[in-house]
Amino acid sequence: MEKISVIIDGKTLHAVKDRCVLQVARENGIYIPSLCYNSEVESSGGSCRVCLVEAHQGGRMRLVTSCNYPVRAGLEVKTDTPLVRRIRRGVLELLLARVPDSEVIREMAAREGVTEVRFRRDEGENERYKCIACALCTHVCAEVVGVHAIAMTERGADKKPATPYHKPSEVCIGCGACAYACPTGAITMKETDGVRRIWGKDFPMVRCSVCGAPHIPEAQVDWIVKRTGKDRAFFDKCPDHR
Amino acid sequence: MVEVSVFDRIIERYERSEESLLAILQDFQREFHYVPEEGIRRLSEVLRVPESKIYAMGTFYKALSLTPRGRHVVKVCTGTACHLKGAPQILEALERELGVKRNGTTEDGEYTLECVNCVGACAMAPVTLVDEEYHGQTRASKVMDIIRKRTEE
Ligand code: SF4
Ligand code: FES
Ligand code: FES
Repeated sequence: MEKISVIIDGKTLHAVKDRCVLQVARENGIYIPSLCYNSEVESSGGSCRVCLVEAHQGGRMRLVTSCNYPVRAGLEVKTDTPLVRRIRRGVLELLLARVPDSEVIREMAAREGVTEVRFRRDEGENERYKCIACALCTHVCAEVVGVHAIAMTERGADKKPATPYHKPSEVCIGCGACAYACPTGAITMKETDGVRRIWGKDFPMVRCSVCGAPHIPEAQVDWIVKRTGKDRAFFDKCPDHR
Repeated sequence: MVEVSVFDRIIERYERSEESLLAILQDFQREFHYVPEEGIRRLSEVLRVPESKIYAMGTFYKALSLTPRGRHVVKVCTGTACHLKGAPQILEALERELGVKRNGTTEDGEYTLECVNCVGACAMAPVTLVDEEYHGQTRASKVMDIIRKRTEE
């Protein structure tokens, strides 16, 4: 791994070449707001645009999304200039207009001083009032879990993650990775009496043989056993009692 | 219910790769006037592409429809130029004449009425397309004449 040095907010930092600016900043305790990026998910990022920063290189400045901008030698990044703050406020105002029900967006916007919006939300058919259509959930399902139960459907203001025909998916294993990954908590996952419900489908859970707590969907165990050949008995107990 | 073999006959025309997806979906659209759910399912099996991905494509492209469309498709351009030249009135009149709302299909399965945003022929505004045929400087009555002639054919 080739190391290079970059400057972020005046600090000279050593970083692995081509790692994204956002990750390098985080590793060094520099805060840049972000929503749609997850360092574990290869194709995440580049969608919400709250992570915009100034990238100065070779005497030129560009506004870039830090979550997918690679660090190179000679790069200087500024994360907190008046320009960055102004554009970021604009982005947050748009997000707030789209999902006023999202606590995460409300908080992030408030931190930048945005509490009012000048835009009216298009009351379309978008029933997911917290979804910012960033596609992180679908990337997680496809790349990390490997199931492809959901994908981004429609386009423009109606864009949203969904299972085919909005029906209970035939391939979903109920793992809930999409719900955990979603930056705005837009995916509902509920558990009642040992049955988990997500994307309109019910998943009976395996109960721990020691404490009786439901801890993993049966369908997920089937999937893991099939894919990795792991011993099914491993899942008889919950992580706390293994 | 459409037989699986009907889809296979179309799928066979193409290379078994993800790149063939759109072309196959377009053929489904042409053949059935929409993309049937069983078709997507079969395509997913044969090409080994997740159903969610194909379904998403189906919702993305305006040229594809996931619900049955009429044998004839009437598209009223509601782009800026056409809007100024009276597209809303044309649309309203057609809705009345055909007895459907926009994006609706007549009960006999003959017509689907749709709106499009600027078809790149603003000089001819207002523009209406009947089965991909451009008609410029139209009025609703003129469009109805064209439609009637089509039905007789
Ligand atoms: S549900 Fe969440 S993760 Fe998925 S697209 Fe919407 S905001 Fe992004
Ligand atoms: S975190 Fe960078 S664009 Fe969303
Ligand atoms: S606005 Fe109708 S063709 Fe351009």
